[in-house]
Amino acid sequence: MSDSGSAALSDVRFERVTKRYGKAVAVKALSLAIPRGSFFSLLGPSGCGKTTTLRLIAGFETPDEGDVFIRDTRVTETAPYRRDFAMVFQNFALFPHLTVADNVAFGLRMSGVAREERAKAVEAALAMVKLTGFAERYPKQLSGGQQQRVAIARAIVMKPAVLLLDEPLGALDKNLRESMQVELRSLQRELGLTTVFVTHDQEEALTMSDSIAVMRDGVIEQLGAPREIYERPATEFVATFLGASNLIDATVVESGNGSSQVEATFGRFTLAGSHPAGERLRLAIRPERVLLKPGRDSGALPAIVRDVVYRGMSAHVFLESGGLPLLAFVQNAASAAIDWSPGQEVGIVLPAESLVRLNGGAQAHG
Amino acid sequence: MASGSFRLTRRWAAFALVAPPLLVFLVFFVVPLVSLFWVSFHAPSQSELYGPELTLEHYATILTDPFYHTIILRTLSTGAVILALCLVLGYATAYVLAPLPPRKRLLLLLLLVVPLMVSNVVRAYGWIAILGRQGLVNAVLRDTGLIERPLLLLNSFEAVSFGLMTIMLPYMVISVANALASIDAQYKEAAQSLRADPVRTFIHVTWPLSSPGVASGMLLVFLLTLSAYVTITLLGGPRMKLLVSLVFDSVGSFRWPLAAAISFALLVMALIVSGLIMALLRPQRVQGRG
Repeated sequence: MSDSGSAALSDVRFERVTKRYGKAVAVKALSLAIPRGSFFSLLGPSGCGKTTTLRLIAGFETPDEGDVFIRDTRVTETAPYRRDFAMVFQNFALFPHLTVADNVAFGLRMSGVAREERAKAVEAALAMVKLTGFAERYPKQLSGGQQQRVAIARAIVMKPAVLLLDEPLGALDKNLRESMQVELRSLQRELGLTTVFVTHDQEEALTMSDSIAVMRDGVIEQLGAPREIYERPATEFVATFLGASNLIDATVVESGNGSSQVEATFGRFTLAGSHPAGERLRLAIRPERVLLKPGRDSGALPAIVRDVVYRGMSAHVFLESGGLPLLAFVQNAASAAIDWSPGQEVGIVLPAESLVRLNGGAQAHG
Repeated sequence: MASGSFRLTRRWAAFALVAPPLLVFLVFFVVPLVSLFWVSFHAPSQSELYGPELTLEHYATILTDPFYHTIILRTLSTGAVILALCLVLGYATAYVLAPLPPRKRLLLLLLLVVPLMVSNVVRAYGWIAILGRQGLVNAVLRDTGLIERPLLLLNSFEAVSFGLMTIMLPYMVISVANALASIDAQYKEAAQSLRADPVRTFIHVTWPLSSPGVASGMLLVFLLTLSAYVTITLLGGPRMKLLVSLVFDSVGSFRWPLAAAISFALLVMALIVSGLIMALLRPQRVQGRG
């Protein structure tokens, strides 16, 4: 793929962008291209550089090194008000002295759109976020969810090349947040709007995104579709930051026929893929992928139940096997494991296709 | 029932809290104000506070006498000049101070207040030492050969306005700086994300959001200007009298009812200008956002 070819399809592009605050490096030689029309999430813990990345797109920060492009235009030193983006802020940042209509019209007014055309666009945008009839209210007269919609309307009315969302759902309560996730996502699809979404909420990122970039210490640890990131985490950080993972250190015993036998402290099991014998691996398996057997039949590894936590629609089963703590999730409907008691001897199966090899290899045991 | 009696107790507690200041306000402000109003409708008396007969003569004098017109106009224009100077200089200073880190800003604001710790009398004499016939300015100008005869800087509109402005400016700076500092940085970024350049961001966002601070600063400055006396008397002399000087003069000549009437003219003036400031700046539109 040629450089220009990939660039033509991307609305935002970073080329080895570095941003420092004093000695601290917020974003480290970051390169990425965000495809047109996609919902792209920057996910990571606070201080990972995700917000800085967003602010670099907006122009509220300028890079120390590298270049930023919006729709193939180099905007590295361009002032924010000359860049083709719109943004929904964390606390909405609705202008308190302006009505809903004036808030939504603000950007069009600044861009010199004529009054009549402005009014039409505002009306359409408010209809899109289901706030028709709220035009003359002031932000303080609206609920949190309604303010959120105004903030979205104010951004989408600009028809920007890229829509930036800075944890816009963080200020809402759980139920409202979930319904806004669905609405925001369908609105984004409908408009085909390239969207960059910053969040520290992994569930939100999984629900909404076409692609997720998991960030840590100013670099992208892994970039991919939600399912890929969740089911094939590349590193221990990704495996544990997105959902829970059991981490297992194992040594390859023998290999052949596209699979390998590996040995961990609690026994031998099979892993997909050929690996040289003697290699030490670090493996991850999701708790919902761990299969539980009531007794110690053949093929199952021995484990002891430490605790069972009832969670309504599921249960968390805490186990120990060969000195290693393991966690398994079971569905309420189909498992007897919910009734297990601590100390019970049971069997576990780690399906070969559910085991993921993490980069970096196994850590040395002491 | 329990919640009902609790509510009742709360209401009494609230009343108990408000009652003392309310009483003080009533006894020491409302009652004297009403009695002052009453006094202003009476003829003067040589021996008493006011004579027995009722009259509108004092108000008629204030409204029709050209001398009073001159003084009222002068008072208003002094106020306007001081307001304008304080607004421009104060806002500019506050705009520079507001983005500083809180500790630094507080320190600089405290520094601005230090001159206010010197009595207005002392300050006015200080200005006399600087602006007087034998003062610093004239001495320097004469020594450098720029003038031969000393300039008459004192006892003028300019001297009074300047002297008052230096007293009022810190109030304006503090009000505006606090208002500016409390504006969430996200508003400016939101404006920029919506294609507003720095100038339009200021006009459409920063200025309206700072209007509560500007309004309170302007109210403070104007009301303090109306009630200033020492500075006006010492820097204005007998030629630059303002309305407040006439209150003093009337009391000095035992015309208490006239003094009372002028006081009410001052009060009306304060109310009208305050109303104008509020109407122009509409600070209430920014207040109480949820």
